Amino acid sequence: MAVQLSPKMQEFTQEVFPAFIGTMRKDGSVEMVPVWFEQKDGSFWINGGTNRGWFKHLQRDPRITLLLVDPKEMFRWAQVEGRMVNWAEDTGGDHINHLSHRYLKTDYRGPRTGRIKIQIEPLRVTGAIDGRR
Amino acid sequence: MAAGKTASALSPEVQRLAALPILITVASKRADGSVQLNPVWFELKDGFIWLNSNTSRTWPKNLQRERDVTLLLVDPKVPDRYAQIHGRLVSLIPDPQHEFIDHLSDRYTGKKFRELEPDEHRVTLKIQPVRVTGALL
Repeated sequence: MAVQLSPKMQEFTQEVFPAFIGTMRKDGSVEMVPVWFEQKDGSFWINGGTNRGWFKHLQRDPRITLLLVDPKEMFRWAQVEGRMVNWAEDTGGDHINHLSHRYLKTDYRGPRTGRIKIQIEPLRVTGAIDGRR
Repeated sequence: MAAGKTASALSPEVQRLAALPILITVASKRADGSVQLNPVWFELKDGFIWLNSNTSRTWPKNLQRERDVTLLLVDPKVPDRYAQIHGRLVSLIPDPQHEFIDHLSDRYTGKKFRELEPDEHRVTLKIQPVRVTGALL
């Protein structure tokens, strides 16, 4: 069942830094990469090309773990265990452009076609922000 | 994994990043197959990645069970620059005198590690890098 983010987590997830996402490959190994994210209405949203490894992994096993770390103060961190509940084509690249404005305050310069946006529902939050190990 | 880079082939860029006092993210697998991520202190030395933990933490237990580990190093100034390191836990070394955690603490804080809790036992994890991918090769 989805969990509600605490007020501290609501604030923390408005800060601008990448999320490190962990997904499971077919062979059981973990892939981990940094991605742009946005937290909105309690869900996490990420964006990528349909050819990204992590998207293929999520279609097989929707479980995904996000690690959020303040790069300036690395002891401020949170781990979000979640699952992909929805994905949709990012028509016209509107969502990646929105993320680009969140991170770079400018229009997205990369390809806007062949992209998808993914909704992740948080199931458990641990880490220093909520003080839960 | 045979085609991967071995420790001696870690690029100068990865080595430069690893020399900074930044945290490395450890990905391990829980018994139910879900992915656990933890930011931890580390040191790259003699071609191995060295970590240290309290034995009661979950992530070292996960690594003892699975042995395969993924590590992520990200340039804090340029997040697009990162190295994903696939490795293998090759040994688990008790740290009863907490010498190694003091050493790591010195690397990050310039001070010895805090006093251990009464039932706290430290262990050093030695990880062999097997393959490096990402935007910092």
